[in-house]
Amino acid sequence: MMEELDLLKKDWKKNENSFEQVSEVDIYKMLHKKSSSIVKWILIISILEVLLWTGISFLYNSDEYFIKTHSEYLIEYFKYLTIFNYVIVAVFIYMFYKNYRAISTITSTKQLMKDILKTRKIVRYYVWYNLGMMVVSMIIGFILVFTVDPKLHELTSKANAMVFMIAFCTVCILVFVGLFWLFYRLIYGILLRKLFRNYNELKKIDL
Amino acid sequence: MSDNLEQTFVQQLRENQNIIHKICRLYTSDGDAHKDLFQEITIQLWKAFPKFRGDAKFSTWAYRVALNTAITLYRKSTRSVSTVEYEKHSFFISQDEYNSEEEDQIKLMYQAVHQLNDIEKALVFMYLEDKDYTEIAETLGISEVNARVKMNRIKGKLKKILNP
Repeated sequence: MMEELDLLKKDWKKNENSFEQVSEVDIYKMLHKKSSSIVKWILIISILEVLLWTGISFLYNSDEYFIKTHSEYLIEYFKYLTIFNYVIVAVFIYMFYKNYRAISTITSTKQLMKDILKTRKIVRYYVWYNLGMMVVSMIIGFILVFTVDPKLHELTSKANAMVFMIAFCTVCILVFVGLFWLFYRLIYGILLRKLFRNYNELKKIDL
Repeated sequence: MSDNLEQTFVQQLRENQNIIHKICRLYTSDGDAHKDLFQEITIQLWKAFPKFRGDAKFSTWAYRVALNTAITLYRKSTRSVSTVEYEKHSFFISQDEYNSEEEDQIKLMYQAVHQLNDIEKALVFMYLEDKDYTEIAETLGISEVNARVKMNRIKGKLKKILNP
């Protein structure tokens, strides 16, 4: 076997200079072409995700509803929540940027893979945070609405209606989270399949 | 980035381009894919060039960036599609220098190497390039002992592919 691999080496070396050479002009042209690397795709998708989630969390304005239901005191609480959310977004963007910058092709293959996966993980945490916040605000909102809104207050006296509402909201949340999870698996399943395969292969070597 | 830097880079790359061609040869199976990977590696080398220090050899540095691009950054699957396609594009043996038995063996070896996974190809590549195990281990981020063990397993795997 050794012999055969060395036979291959002999041929490999012999044909070292038999490649069609790329001219300097063509190399110049290549430098100005766009990269289609996995890191670039992760950056684009991450930015879209952050825009989407940040947009959703700031889009919904509950103030009007509170004024309508004469519960202005709640506006103050929600203001703190909004500030908290801004801080989280800022921290997240900083973390993402720091990790993204750390991705370097001059480290070892294993380190490079680790860095890419770490950057991905931060975006995933951010998405989970937003999903969590959404579920929590849905629950809080649900409770508030029932205690504050006079029309719904009447409803709560009817036990059946109450159970129905809770079941309805739970199903909504589950379907929403489920769809989201599926979409996520699909995008990253396709994008990261090769990376995971090679990363596991590398890890196996050192086991 | 300054024009001067660009000029230096382009010149260095032209002189060392066979490194990239060789990696493309192992990781792709047709001419278009070869060009595509070559371009992506060139872009990644250029991106990393400001961090390249003159004290290292351009070729040593380029090996690492090029391999990392082929294994990790390149989005398309680098697994070979069919051996027929491969033979057509990157098998070039001049008839007169080999006897036909040797020639057949080499042909089979290339086909077998193409069936390996991305990490195994990297090890074979560095082996063919006469890199020592210290450098192989450092480049991939594994231990030197395990790099040796893995290389022996690959030899076994190739043997199996060749003699099923």
